[in-house]
Amino acid sequence: MNTKSIQLHELMLSRGTFFCYAGPLSEEVLTSISGVVKDQLTDSDSDLLIKKKVFSIFIEQAQNIIRYSGARLEKSGVGSVSISHTDTGFVLEAVNEINPTDQVRVAQMLDELQSMDESELKRAYRERMKSGPPEGSVGAGLGFIEVARRSSSFDYAFEERGGVLLFLYRGWVEVPKA
Amino acid sequence: MIIPATSRTPEVAFSEQQCSIKGECYPEDISEFSIPIMENIKLGVGEADAYKVEIELYYFNSSSAKFFFDFFDFLDESAAGNKEISVIWRYREDDDTMQDAGEEFQEDLGNLIFKLEQLD
Repeated sequence: MNTKSIQLHELMLSRGTFFCYAGPLSEEVLTSISGVVKDQLTDSDSDLLIKKKVFSIFIEQAQNIIRYSGARLEKSGVGSVSISHTDTGFVLEAVNEINPTDQVRVAQMLDELQSMDESELKRAYRERMKSGPPEGSVGAGLGFIEVARRSSSFDYAFEERGGVLLFLYRGWVEVPKA
Repeated sequence: MIIPATSRTPEVAFSEQQCSIKGECYPEDISEFSIPIMENIKLGVGEADAYKVEIELYYFNSSSAKFFFDFFDFLDESAAGNKEISVIWRYREDDDTMQDAGEEFQEDLGNLIFKLEQLD
């Protein structure tokens, strides 16, 4: 009976996951957990810019889940967000159920961003701000671009599990060597 | 008039012909945050020939970026209409993100005076 508890502990430590939240995600919940994440990052050794990049990606991923996850409660999305140390920096992983009808559009947006360099991302960001929210978007549609800009790299995947479609979205922040 | 800061929103202060915004910005509800600000800024600018805005932000999320874009757009249009509008964008030393953000806003604003100022 103790095994599962110990497994969770060992899993988190072994993969360097120092923050993880899984479940209903609302703006109220985000207010609480973002405070925790801020404190954890404040304690870490990295410089201010790295911490801000990590925090930015975290907020965008969380708000993505709050607004768009396939599983919904009244004012919440449902999903998980976690932050882990890697050998070279940080990785932020977000997983949520997604409506299959959104898959093509999301994949298209992210593929396009994958191919862009810094200046193209900057231009895409400004164009998006001027033109307003894209179809199906509550927020400004800028969240994906913001993650692309703040992360050293990002990736995504869709996986079907138990009859639902899951969206995995990851961003890495590399810490430059001193 | 002062809208106090919260853990997720900046302090916003309105005085005669002036507005200052200071802190972090990733509101729980972007409309609830932005509507009173736009109302007050429109009122303030409407009643004045000159208006000054001071901004000192440490972080803002993508929804807020869109708000600030619209905010500056209104100010820039007011400046085009013969109002004297100036914005000071302050950023902390070593904060490349906020410096870059200020420069990006500056690029799009052709009518108002937009100055960047590094804090010591």
